[in-house]
Amino acid sequence: MTSPELVRRFLTNAGNAAAGTHAVSDAAGLRRVLSGIVSRTVPAFCPGLTDKEKAATPSLACRAADYAGAKATVEEVYGAIAETGSLVCVSSGGRAVQAGLLPAHHVAIVASERIFAALDDCFASFAEGPPTNITLVTGPSRTADIELTLAIGVHGPEKLDIIVFSSEPCSDA
Amino acid sequence: MSDVQTSLAFRANAARAIKDAPMRAAMRQAADTFGAKRADAFASVADLEALRDRASALRLQVLDRLQEYEEMFASRATRAGATVHRAKDASSAREIIARILADRGAKTVVKSKSMVSEEIHLNAHLEKEGLTVLETDLGEYIIQLVGETPSHIIVPAIHKNRQQVGRLFAEKLGVEYTEDPQVLTKIARRTIREKFLTADAGLSGANFAAAASGSLVLFTNEGNGRMVTTVPPLHIAILSLEKMIPSLADLPTFIRLLPRSATGQSITSYVSVITGTRKPGEATGAKELHIVLLDNGRTEILSGECREILKCIRCGACMNVCPVYRTVGGHSYGWTYPGPMGIILTTLLTGMAKSHPLVDASTLCGACVEVCPVHIPLVDLFLRLRERRVREGFSRPMEKRGMRVFGKAAASPSLFSAGQYLSRTFWPLVRALGGKDVAGRLPRPAKVPFHRRVP
Repeated sequence: MTSPELVRRFLTNAGNAAAGTHAVSDAAGLRRVLSGIVSRTVPAFCPGLTDKEKAATPSLACRAADYAGAKATVEEVYGAIAETGSLVCVSSGGRAVQAGLLPAHHVAIVASERIFAALDDCFASFAEGPPTNITLVTGPSRTADIELTLAIGVHGPEKLDIIVFSSEPCSDA
Repeated sequence: MSDVQTSLAFRANAARAIKDAPMRAAMRQAADTFGAKRADAFASVADLEALRDRASALRLQVLDRLQEYEEMFASRATRAGATVHRAKDASSAREIIARILADRGAKTVVKSKSMVSEEIHLNAHLEKEGLTVLETDLGEYIIQLVGETPSHIIVPAIHKNRQQVGRLFAEKLGVEYTEDPQVLTKIARRTIREKFLTADAGLSGANFAAAASGSLVLFTNEGNGRMVTTVPPLHIAILSLEKMIPSLADLPTFIRLLPRSATGQSITSYVSVITGTRKPGEATGAKELHIVLLDNGRTEILSGECREILKCIRCGACMNVCPVYRTVGGHSYGWTYPGPMGIILTTLLTGMAKSHPLVDASTLCGACVEVCPVHIPLVDLFLRLRERRVREGFSRPMEKRGMRVFGKAAASPSLFSAGQYLSRTFWPLVRALGGKDVAGRLPRPAKVPFHRRVP
């Protein structure tokens, strides 16, 4: 079980990296958050592979068939890291990691029990051999290449929203 | 700016650069911003010294058994579906890459930032072979549009201000002039996005290579590195041998150090770990991955007295704090790598004959040593290179003669006193003859030497 402290630390660090952060505890809550952050007219891609992704789809009014033509991607990711506020996106299970890269808005659902405390815990989970692609995502795409002025949204998403899904009511671990 | 090395003209380059007010303002701003952000970022690290010690030990462990790690990396990467090529020098690396592209009929290549590719002048070669190579990192894209080379290893276009970039985009891309970095960034996003989707190949470097799993690791902020390595069907990565780390279990140490040292971020927006090619049933990764392991002088450095420079993880912290770099800018150094680490790498990789004035480009203040995340003894290395310059006969004849005379005098009290007397007597003449040279700027010798004034 994930301690509420770990969830809080993850959400704080992700928020500091300019990600939008949300916490829900059931499918209805997930749909409520989604309808608030993904507009009904935006073509959104959702692989619909996991229970949480299936629970998310009814709230997406305009569903894109694939990520190439989508303006937003809604997906459940492999996990997250509290230490850095990062998402862990991987290619296992036939996932297209670039689905969270090409559209302008990336919405990631993270199961609370998939939050690792530190970077080391995350990489230890790949001890048996890493998948083709592991990408740690921390905040939206950014650059400071012109006069070191921060600009958000270069080649990757300009907006990143993270929804932590705690299926059990949080209790101290 | 061309691909020709101008390190021998360091003094002239520096004198010219010092008069370039916009460049110097940009450099100061960059150095100050990065310095402050770096300090902030490390404030959240519990035991920074232990972290640096560990990183340094890991890098030394790799250097001590480099060939073993290199072979392990090659075999694991091959097992994961990559094709590994070994390039002894710049020209063989260029040929290997050009051949891979030609064999597949590739015409357009999208590229993410790679200093090693700058080191071997890859773009110029591929363009000569008829390929279109597009730099996709915003800073690299800007300097590619002007036809310049990077002046900083992390922020390549640091020497350009927003007005210059605005005028450049208006002229080259036919867009309306704007000097708003947000708008300029969006223009670049739009222009480059199409190229990502249609490119025949992606070309990248790598920040690290994990030997145990044969994985490449890339740290990026913009997302272009992810595009280059996952969107085109063919991905070619070029990296120099010393980028090895033992395994992915060691990566957290470097994730904690590299972005903090480089840009003051606790982590970059993206850290990508790529292991081989797209497998059946997968939807991510290039269908074909070629990894070019470049030696280009590393093995030789490894057996020499300056081997610790190979611990370098290319964070750029040493240049941000260097009083010389901050004043003369990156282009003055005349080759790919500027600043303290650049002086050492340039001298070792291109040879003393092509670079000897660079070893003077340090005040030996040690600010670089203080910030280096992997404890490279940069000042010791400068001194070793200065000794080597004398040994190899590249010091100026006047300097050699002067040092010989001073050596004799310093060993004999009577000669030393005589010298002091002469220097007091002839100082006006020395100053007049010295003119603008060092001799002309010597301070007036004291009338009574210090040791006689102190009882």
